[in-house]
Amino acid sequence: MRRSTVALLIAVAALSGVLWLGGLALAVQDQFFSAAKPPTKEQRPPTAETRQHDEKMDIVALGDSLTRGTGDESGKGYVGYMVDALRRQTDKPIRVTNLAIRGLRSDGLLRQLGQPEIQRQVAMADLIVMTIGGNDLFQGGEALKLDRKQLNEAKRRYVANLDRIFAALRRFNSEAVIFAIGLYNPFGDLDDAKRTSAVVRDWNFASAEVAARYPNIVAVPTFDLFALHVNDYLYSDHFHPNAAGYKRIGERVASLITLTEEGEQ
Amino acid sequence: MSKLVYNEMLKIVRKKRLWVIAAIIAVLVALFTYAQYRETEELRKRLGTTDWRTQLQQQIVDLQNRLQSPSMSEEWRKYLQIRLKQQQYYLEHNINPSAPGAPTFMRTFIENAIDLFLPLLVMVVAADLVSSEASAGTIKLLLVRPVKRWKILLSKYIALLLSVSLIMLMAAVLSYAISGLVFGYGGFRLPLLTGFVPQGEDLNTANVHMIPQWKYILIELGLAAFVSVVVGTLTFMFSVLLRSTAAVMGIMLAALISGAILSNMVSSWHSAKYLFMVNLRLTDYIKGAAPPIEGMTLGFSMAVLAVWGLAGLLVAFFVFMRRDVY
Repeated sequence: MRRSTVALLIAVAALSGVLWLGGLALAVQDQFFSAAKPPTKEQRPPTAETRQHDEKMDIVALGDSLTRGTGDESGKGYVGYMVDALRRQTDKPIRVTNLAIRGLRSDGLLRQLGQPEIQRQVAMADLIVMTIGGNDLFQGGEALKLDRKQLNEAKRRYVANLDRIFAALRRFNSEAVIFAIGLYNPFGDLDDAKRTSAVVRDWNFASAEVAARYPNIVAVPTFDLFALHVNDYLYSDHFHPNAAGYKRIGERVASLITLTEEGEQ
Repeated sequence: MSKLVYNEMLKIVRKKRLWVIAAIIAVLVALFTYAQYRETEELRKRLGTTDWRTQLQQQIVDLQNRLQSPSMSEEWRKYLQIRLKQQQYYLEHNINPSAPGAPTFMRTFIENAIDLFLPLLVMVVAADLVSSEASAGTIKLLLVRPVKRWKILLSKYIALLLSVSLIMLMAAVLSYAISGLVFGYGGFRLPLLTGFVPQGEDLNTANVHMIPQWKYILIELGLAAFVSVVVGTLTFMFSVLLRSTAAVMGIMLAALISGAILSNMVSSWHSAKYLFMVNLRLTDYIKGAAPPIEGMTLGFSMAVLAVWGLAGLLVAFFVFMRRDVY
């Protein structure tokens, strides 16, 4: 009996050995000698998957580190606190897709919106929240550009990009309310607070002006939230909000959302 | 000759090693299956969706965020950069590279097992093939028979090759059968992309083409078998050189583990690419992951491994033929 077991094992081993050799030959053939036929991009039908008027609420979050939640130890960010607040008001299932990337500038967001999958996500959204511009203005959180010429140039580019961003968002999704969250002055405690605050106000005003050109885009101010005791609401990098700061932003945005309106409009 | 091979195979079977190996594979596969299951569940819960495109997009965004972190080694950045481009490519072509199913599990299992786990199992069989006979003294009984020495060693080597083949078969069948219980058995025809060529931080997609998953798996199994044979051959060589099985195991283990460690830090030591242990991850080339040292390709790694294997075989035969046994 043992004799036949061993013979059988040898036979099986030899047979599977042939299979492995075949696999190896296939590897060589496929990797070295196959003429590459690049797969054609599949054209996705743009229909079907647009905003669904279902029970679920789809929230898409776009933008930079603020939307990502950098500085909040719990990792929630204002999006998380906003959803917490909404959940207290409704039993509707809420789905959040956070597409924010740290350090993103307006041109980066514009590029990101060029990706088909991002467009699909935007199209499916019932609500869009976004922060952008912080990195255009504060160079990655280090300082505020105070050279007037540079500043004007940065603003010009930012406003042009923002206009194209809003236009794109409206093109992919004509219905969803968009909350474009404004900037606060993280340097409000420093010596030249007057100047920096003026620049941030100016910047926010420009953003709000662009937002007003489109239907259902709401510019949400945060400047006032951080105007007093700014350091109580900032993370240890003195730039990003901490948990308390994010909570304030999140609750402000949540207070603007009327849940009944969704699905009826 | 066939009788000799049969005899050697009988010895291996009698030691019951193959059953131990099968048991190890079964337990580990069950473990990985559960881990994978938990991970998919977790992801589904976090994103509130089973839509793979949303999940993949989320992974891409996560990668992009990690790439923003300033304290990141250049190598790791490059690696993430390439993975990002690849995921982007999959998404653009509407292909889910990790569609759930036993074949997908099998594929990732082979990819993760090729450089350490499978070679380890092969070592379990190969380490004492000759050394145990030397330490137990049975080698004398073998050599006094009227058979040429090289034939005796060759029969042992063929028995080793057969065992490697069996181990590969067990790994393939068990990983498919066990993971299928959870993920389902379908998915062999899922299209996958191969032919990505990493170039610095970039990903050359000129050669990318689509192949069905069964072909992809077969290719990976072939490469894994090749790696296993080379590692088995080197173990075999040490088994001839040394009398102590423990020493053979120790040396090979050290080599394999150092390979895993070295792969993470040799990027600036270019001649390290001629070591066999940094060349074991052949499946990475199929997948299109960045190689440990720039300029390494599938052909290069296969050639290096082949040279090491042949050299090991030659040394083994040379030493075995000349050695005095008393």
